[in-house]
Amino acid sequence: MTWAVRFEDICKRYRGGRRGYPSIRSDLTRLGRRLLSPLQRGDKPFGYLALDHVSFEVPQGQAFAIIGPNGAGKTTALKMLTRISHPTSGRLRVRGRVGALIEVGSGVHPELTGRENIWLYGRIIGMSRQEIARRFDDIVDFAELRESIDMPVKMYSSGMQLRLGFAVASHIDPDIFVVDEALAVGDAGFQVKCIERMTRLVSEGRTLIFVSHNLSAVETICPRGLFLLDGRIEAMGEARDVLRHYLDWVDTRQQARIEHQVQNRPSKFLTIERVSFHDARGQERAAFRTGETVEIRLKVSAQTPVRRPYFEIGISDGRPGNLILCSMLADGHVVDVLEGQNTVTCRIPQLPLLPRVYQIWCSVRSHLAYGELFDWQLVGAFRVADGPAGLNGPGAIAHTGTEAPIHTDYDWRVTTDADARVPS
Amino acid sequence: MIELVVEGGHQFGLVQGLREIWAFREVAWAFAERYVRLKYKQAGLGIAWAIIQPLSFLLIFVILFGRLAHISSGNTPYQAFALSALVPWTFLQTAVSMGSGALLMDGGLMRKVYFARECPVIGAVLATGLDFVIGLGLLLILGPFLGTRISWAMVYVLPLWIVMAVLGLGLALGFGALSVYYRDFRFVMPLFIQLWMFGSPVAYPLTTVPDKYRALYLIANPAAGILDGFRRIFALGQTPDLGLLAVSASATLVIAWAGYVLFRRMEPGFADSV
Repeated sequence: MTWAVRFEDICKRYRGGRRGYPSIRSDLTRLGRRLLSPLQRGDKPFGYLALDHVSFEVPQGQAFAIIGPNGAGKTTALKMLTRISHPTSGRLRVRGRVGALIEVGSGVHPELTGRENIWLYGRIIGMSRQEIARRFDDIVDFAELRESIDMPVKMYSSGMQLRLGFAVASHIDPDIFVVDEALAVGDAGFQVKCIERMTRLVSEGRTLIFVSHNLSAVETICPRGLFLLDGRIEAMGEARDVLRHYLDWVDTRQQARIEHQVQNRPSKFLTIERVSFHDARGQERAAFRTGETVEIRLKVSAQTPVRRPYFEIGISDGRPGNLILCSMLADGHVVDVLEGQNTVTCRIPQLPLLPRVYQIWCSVRSHLAYGELFDWQLVGAFRVADGPAGLNGPGAIAHTGTEAPIHTDYDWRVTTDADARVPS
Repeated sequence: MIELVVEGGHQFGLVQGLREIWAFREVAWAFAERYVRLKYKQAGLGIAWAIIQPLSFLLIFVILFGRLAHISSGNTPYQAFALSALVPWTFLQTAVSMGSGALLMDGGLMRKVYFARECPVIGAVLATGLDFVIGLGLLLILGPFLGTRISWAMVYVLPLWIVMAVLGLGLALGFGALSVYYRDFRFVMPLFIQLWMFGSPVAYPLTTVPDKYRALYLIANPAAGILDGFRRIFALGQTPDLGLLAVSASATLVIAWAGYVLFRRMEPGFADSV
């Protein structure tokens, strides 16, 4: 398979780092200093690296995703591709005409009418007059602006202005189509139209490069992609692997944040010193897979001997309420006396939870199930890093990672009711 | 299929840059159209401004230099003498100030879309060309009442205009590039243009400059030879002095090339700095 876009060891260094606008004064003094001391030539590079030796290839005719957190360099990479910004080093190769669907509000001028804007803006982004003439009606229909096309754009609502910009941008006929988080701004109906347009371009054999935080859209549209982090490629390959990697990176950070919130506040009777999570072989781990065995171990020290404590461990995904509550009050497990150092282990043989971060809350009730020995508090967190095997729907990763947290086995059966069948 | 190769840290050569401008000529033209529409849409009096500006200058010149300072205009009435240089001068100063401001005005677009970065500047200079055409109309219609002449020498208007447009474009490219990096140039430009006007034979004849300095003057200020050419055509009905014009055209080429080189040097960082 041949490539449409090739990044070869590309770096981009932004001049930032110094505050405000460059001023003549500071540049002149620097020039003067340099002339006076020619030995100091080897200036240290300043600014920061937005892209740090990035190399990748996008195959021709494929949809390719670039994901990553804010500030990872995604937009910078697209700017190289669309030639808006110039790489500091490395080589970029592009086969075919590039068109971008990016936030374009600035191209639409408020004083001009919708019609004038389509004609002028269309040509600025590289459409020929014939192309615009041919597609003018499509553009107007796509933007849903038939009635107000001869009004100055300043009379439009902000949504209408955005639609106009997108409508023009999305009607260019490129070989390589670049979409940068464009979908986030339109209303729901418009988003659907954009997705349709993108998938149609791909089915026509165009190459699509898609930057988005809408992971479900990424997974459905793109078979491959890369995960950019701090200007470096963190993962690259099949979109679902890359997506899983990215979601797990997000979860790891969240897990650390939650662990930071754990206070281990002792009560008058008990202290929970530490919570750890172990797999079936007793190995301590921070991340698990759906369906695996998990042991939650609490290191509990009792200040005084405590009779008949009832432990309760709740698992929550951060929203109010528990997803799972393991309670001695319910199962009737009895501990006669707790004194000194103890380990309380709660074993879940098959974890029914899908990938994300889970909080562990704990409380201990006194005998007769009355009165608190240990107040309900956050004691730890673990994460599920891999979902159940065998899910291969078009949104498997995005959906298991962001929708409902509980996993259960199920199957579908679709039958046509005999009496409803259309007679042939 | 065309393959584009972008080498990091390495810019287009100057000739390749010119080819790039040619490839994007349609975009430059679209910018020109955009500026023309904007200019006359935003102003209530619309296209009339293209006439009001030179006429008000004419009024000031006639009172100040014609009546009070008694600047010699030879056998031609002073108002014809002044108008014949004011119309091209108005074009030149508008081209430079609009052209150098175009990059900042359309900075937002530059961060979103790629085109040869010269396009907005070229568009602004072309858009100003319309003002010049209207000014020419003024010279042809109102001029004869003030004492300008209509003659065959007018065939020189187009080549003179081209030299003047190249000069304006070169300056606009240079100053435009500088003003992207140094916002100080917003204040420098009006000052520069005013000083330049007084340094050019707009209100006074070229002969005011002493003979021994004139050659130097013509090289340093290519506008002088061009304005003198226009004045000869319209005020005297003569053909321009081709010797003067050759000097001005060469100086123009040097300035325009320098402006373009400066622009090219600074161009790769525009989108990151605007």
